[in-house]
Amino acid sequence: MRARNGFAVLAAAALVATAACTATPSSSSRASGDNGDVTLSVWSWRPEDAAVYKQIFAKFHESHPHLKVDFKPYKSTEYNTILSTGLTQAGGPDVAQLRAYGGLQPLIQAGDLVPLDGQVAGLSNFETTSLDGARGRKDGKIYGVPLEMSTFQVYYNKDIFAKYQLQPPAGWDQLIADAKKLLAAGVTPFAAAGKDTWLLPLYADTFAATRYGGPGFEKKLLAGQAKFTDPEYVAALDVLNQLKPYFPKEQMGLGETDVQTLFATGKAAMIPEGSFALAPLKAINPKLNLGVFNPPPPPGALVTKPLQVGWVDASYGLNAKSKHRKEALELLQWMTTTEFGQLVADQLKQVSLVKGVQSGDPLLGEMVSAYRTDPTPYLMLVDFRYGTPLGSDLQAAGLQKMLLGQQTAAQVAGDIQTGVAQWFKP
Amino acid sequence: MVQAVTKGSSTRRRGRVWFLLPAFLLYTVFAVYPLVSALADSFWTWEGTARGGFAGARNFTSLFTTFPLNQQLLPAFWHTVAFFVGTMVVQNTFGLLVAVLLVELPRARRFLRTVYTVPYLIGGLVVGYLWSLLLSPAFGPLNAGLHAAGLGSLARPWLGDPATALPVVILVNAWQYLGFPVLLFGAALAGLPPEYGEAARVDGASAGQRFFRVTLPLLLPSIGVVTILTFIGSMNTFELVYSLEGAQGNQPTGPGGATDVLGLIFYRVAFQEGGSNAIGLSSALAVLLFVVTFGIAVAANRVVRRRTA
Repeated sequence: MRARNGFAVLAAAALVATAACTATPSSSSRASGDNGDVTLSVWSWRPEDAAVYKQIFAKFHESHPHLKVDFKPYKSTEYNTILSTGLTQAGGPDVAQLRAYGGLQPLIQAGDLVPLDGQVAGLSNFETTSLDGARGRKDGKIYGVPLEMSTFQVYYNKDIFAKYQLQPPAGWDQLIADAKKLLAAGVTPFAAAGKDTWLLPLYADTFAATRYGGPGFEKKLLAGQAKFTDPEYVAALDVLNQLKPYFPKEQMGLGETDVQTLFATGKAAMIPEGSFALAPLKAINPKLNLGVFNPPPPPGALVTKPLQVGWVDASYGLNAKSKHRKEALELLQWMTTTEFGQLVADQLKQVSLVKGVQSGDPLLGEMVSAYRTDPTPYLMLVDFRYGTPLGSDLQAAGLQKMLLGQQTAAQVAGDIQTGVAQWFKP
Repeated sequence: MVQAVTKGSSTRRRGRVWFLLPAFLLYTVFAVYPLVSALADSFWTWEGTARGGFAGARNFTSLFTTFPLNQQLLPAFWHTVAFFVGTMVVQNTFGLLVAVLLVELPRARRFLRTVYTVPYLIGGLVVGYLWSLLLSPAFGPLNAGLHAAGLGSLARPWLGDPATALPVVILVNAWQYLGFPVLLFGAALAGLPPEYGEAARVDGASAGQRFFRVTLPLLLPSIGVVTILTFIGSMNTFELVYSLEGAQGNQPTGPGGATDVLGLIFYRVAFQEGGSNAIGLSSALAVLLFVVTFGIAVAANRVVRRRTA
């Protein structure tokens, strides 16, 4: 009896599921009603944001009464597959959240997306670097409205800095002198992790993108005029070696949460971390008195001012098969406005790229404005993550070996070059 | 008469076949079929989940020619071997010692045996997570205890130091599975005829002589079984190393790759690397792993049987 009940429940669930599945495409195809109302289907990989998006799109409906948005989030890890099939079949989205940089290129090459240049006037509300995340590599056209970004920099504990009469360093020598002073006082200068190796390439860019030349070097790399084995890049990798004495002794045993705790509990004075770490840091210690800075250029640096590491995480683009192109473009245009950008900052708690948007936290605002004026890419994510082996994997594994004394910076650079050259053609 | 006997036995044999059929079917569907399909998959190139052209041995050769995979395989193989040898040594010495001592403690035996077996019942992921907390260099009680005891110079990032990472992982593994040899050896010890030991004692053999000359030789079959099962477990080890050292994208696991093992390479090739031919490559690796494990296990089993026959 029990078992039979179980079967009944299962059967019912299966029926509901099938009904839901069959309902999906019809909802978007049925979208144009008699009164001209249109429901746009928007896909995303952020189920955790579904409730907030509902409020955001309600605002959109207020100013665009004839348009409704049906927000459909999918599991992040399965989203790429779901989207690439969804874009080729009927019942796909009108507007879709898109991965940035390399992750976007296959969809562009397959002709699944519509270039937005000249179609969405609001794209002028973004800087060129902000648009790079949604740019087609072959044709240079823009395929998405940038949604949000991440930055990476050094946070410092203002109370500890005040205690030892320190300022955010103005020059490299100052940075080292400050670190020595802290070390002598028994404070770990930099809470740097080594177990979570994905952080290491970010450390390298944060401390030494200036050394290899930042965006200028990126351009040469992509054009085939530079290699990772070039002396400038090798010297940049070696900068972490110079900082090693000021990292925790147990660095390779520490993960990201470990070093966040070290920093947030006042055992370390500084931590290289992302904009995304602001909330977790404050969660560990709400009283934390925080400041941020970008490290001054190390000796021999090709760029003589500090650079802000940053990258676009996502954008929203237009399905080439959408039956409501005009309406979808209206939505995308709205996504370029400060109204939407402010909602992204305040409601989604992300760093919006729309010009003129005030970030919820002044620190986040500082990071974005630094990225606007002096941006440098997270090189491995932006350019070398769309073939295997991933550049970021090679660099992360190599830097760990370098900091353990098992490899030199030149060997690390050699491995990156060998690995990436297997698939990257300038 | 002769004819009748053969006829009778052949019907009986046919009857037996029917009884074997359910087990045979289950085994075929759930064990043989996946194995054979992995073997088949390894000979094709794949585009995601779509099968492309016939690859011949290309998947196998590219395991050894693709950078950086080609540089990860050999170290991982040796780490796996060390993992097996280390675990085996601890289990066959310490495990045996515990089993022998338990024989001498008839009252506490049942309780202690349970205690030793408990970690064996906890999943490797959980065990790894708990140990990574204990061993954490920043907040773990082990290093804190060393510092408190004035032995701060011994404190180190146990899992983050290339010199200690693999030995520590091996010890945790041996600790987790200690209950298994204790049970096996315990059962074998209980099954030994007491007359042998008593005869030796009457002849004036010391306790040590009795153990090494009488008990130990009689335990050889159990030692063989423990060794072979440890070998199979070690070749396929994954979850403990994964939870102790983490897995970072497609990078060798542990500080400087110090604890990278074959099981983790398989995981990375199959799920992490993101290459379009992941099915072909990982199937090829799985086939190689199976051939090595199966071949050595069969050979070892033969040696053990011949010894004890």
